[in-house]
Amino acid sequence: MKKYAKLIGILFLLLALGLFGLQMGVLLIQSTIHIEYIDYRLFYIVNILIVISLALSFYLLLSFTKMQKIILTSLLTIFVVVNVGLMISNQSEIKNVTSKSPDNKHIVSIKHNLSTNEAIYYRDYYWIFGRSMERLKNVADEEIQFEWLANDVAAVTYQTTNEQIQQFVATFGYRSTTSYYYVGAEIHGTWIGEGTEVISGPEGITITHKQKTELFDWDHIEQFGTLAIVLRENNEAKWTISLNENFEMHADSSKSTSGDITLYQATTGENEPVLLKKQETH
Amino acid sequence: MKKLLLTVASLMIICLAVGLYVYQDTSEKTKLTKDILEDYVANQEKLPDELQPNFVSDDIAYALQNEELNITYDSGENWIQVPIQQERLFAGEYNGNKQTLIPDSYVLTENRATFLVVDDLGEGATKISLISSFDQGETWDESVVSEGYPLVRFRKVDFLTDKFGYVITSGGRTMSQELSSVFLTMDNGLNWTEASDLDITTMLSDGGFIDDKTGFMSYGTITPTRPTLYTTQDAGNTWVEARIDVPEEYEEIFLIAEIPTKADNELALLVNQGSDGDYLGGKVKGEFISTDNGLTWTFKGEVQPDEEVR
Repeated sequence: MKKYAKLIGILFLLLALGLFGLQMGVLLIQSTIHIEYIDYRLFYIVNILIVISLALSFYLLLSFTKMQKIILTSLLTIFVVVNVGLMISNQSEIKNVTSKSPDNKHIVSIKHNLSTNEAIYYRDYYWIFGRSMERLKNVADEEIQFEWLANDVAAVTYQTTNEQIQQFVATFGYRSTTSYYYVGAEIHGTWIGEGTEVISGPEGITITHKQKTELFDWDHIEQFGTLAIVLRENNEAKWTISLNENFEMHADSSKSTSGDITLYQATTGENEPVLLKKQETH
Repeated sequence: MKKLLLTVASLMIICLAVGLYVYQDTSEKTKLTKDILEDYVANQEKLPDELQPNFVSDDIAYALQNEELNITYDSGENWIQVPIQQERLFAGEYNGNKQTLIPDSYVLTENRATFLVVDDLGEGATKISLISSFDQGETWDESVVSEGYPLVRFRKVDFLTDKFGYVITSGGRTMSQELSSVFLTMDNGLNWTEASDLDITTMLSDGGFIDDKTGFMSYGTITPTRPTLYTTQDAGNTWVEARIDVPEEYEEIFLIAEIPTKADNELALLVNQGSDGDYLGGKVKGEFISTDNGLTWTFKGEVQPDEEVR
C-alpha cells in the first residue's frame, strides 16, 4: 500500500511539475507566438490543478506535524479561493463563450469584452490553445449563438449594440486540394430545399423562403474562408450559405459540382438550417 | 528530500502567484491580441489602399485616394498629405474622374507644389485660390486669386519663373458662351491682378504664357470653323487676335489652336482638328510658325501625332 502511495505521490508531483511547465511556458511565450488559452479560465483551472497535485503528492510522500498540515491546507485553500475568485470576477469583465464541433475536432471561442463591446474570435490550436482570428465590434451583451453547419463550419450569430443582427462564419481549413475559390461561383445554379429555393446567378444570389424572394448582389455577399458566405442587407446579416461535407468541386470547371449546401438564417430566434440540393438541369 | 521538495514547491507557488498577477492585468492580456489584430487589420487596410503614385517627374508624384491628396518627392517612399479637401480640387463645372488631378490645375516641381482650388460661395459664385508649399510640403500658404468668380469650368495655373506666374480660368457658362479670364502675379503668387478683359464669350479651349509679356488664349471647343487665337504682347494689358493663315485645303480641318511654344527665334503653333476631326484619323495637326512673336502665323506642314515636339 505504502509503495503504491509513494508511486502515486510521485505521479502527482510529476503532474504538478508538468502543468507548472506548461503554465510558465504559456505566460512566457504567448506574446511571441500569439497563442493563448482558448478559454482564459483554463489558466486558473491549471493553477488550481497544480497546487492540488502538489498538495496530494506532499500528503502521499512526506509526513507533517499537525501544525504543518494546518498551515499547508490553509495556504492551499487561500490559493484555490483566490483563483476561483479571479476567474469569476474576470468573467464579468470578459465573457468567454466556446462551442465544440459535432465531431469534437474543432473549438470556436469568443472572448467578449463587456466594457468595450468588442469580441475576439479564436480558433483552437492543439485543443487548449487559441489563436485570435478576427475582431467583432459593437457586440451587444446578449447571448452569442453558435450553429455548426458542418463539422468545420460554425455560424456565429450575435446582436450589435445598435440592435442589428450580425453573423460570421468560423471555418476550419480547406477541404479541397484546389486553391482559393469563390463559394458564390461554385454554387452557381438552382438549389432546392424545404420551402426554400436559392439561385446563384450572374447578378447575385436570390433566396426564396416562405414565399418571399430577395436578391443579394455580389457586393452584399461576404465570403468566410472557403466554405461559407454571408448575405447582407443594410449592413445586417440575413443568411449564411455553407458548403456541406459532401460538396465536391472540380478543378475542371466544365464538370459540375456535386453535394449539398446549407442555408441558415441570421436571426437570434429559433432557427434551423435548411439543407439544399442542387436542381439538375436537363 | 523533504527540504528539497518544499523549496521547489515554494518556488513554484511564488512563480504561480507572480504569473497570476501578470495574467490578471487584463489590459495586458487583451493588448497582446489587440496588437496582432491591429497590425493585421492595418495591413489589410493598407494593401488595397496603398497610395498609387501619379508621376509628374522621375521622383515626384501625387496620389488622390481616400479623399486625400498626398504628394511624394521620393517615388512614394514617403508621402506628405496636402491640406486640401478633395472637393476643393474639383469644385465648379467638372465631370472628369477624381483619381487624377485636373490637368494643368497644379504645379508640382522640386521647389514648388501649387494646387489651384475652388470654393463654392453659393449663388453661382466661387473663390479661386492657390495652395502652395515651397519647402516640399512642410508649410503651406493659401493665396486668393479671385473672389466672386462665376462657376469655374476651365482652370490652369503655371509659373514660368520664381516670380512670374499665371492663372487662366473660364466660368459662368450658359449654353456655349462663357467668361474667360487671365490673372497674373509678379511676386510668386502672393498677389494677383486680373489682366484686361478679352470681350470674347466663345468657350475657352486653352491659354498660356510663353514669357512674362507674351500670352495666348485659344477659343472654340464646340464646332469651331476656324482657329481663334488671341495674344497679348504686354502682359495682358491689350489683346489682339492673331492671324493664322490656314491654307485653303486645310480650312475646316485644323480648327483649334494649342498654346504656342518657343523654338529658336520663332514661335511654333500646333492647330488640331478638335474632337470631331476625321482628317487622316483625326490626330494629325497643322504646324504654324510665327516670326513676329505670335501675331501672325504661316503654315509649315502637317504633324503626325507621334512627331510632336513639345
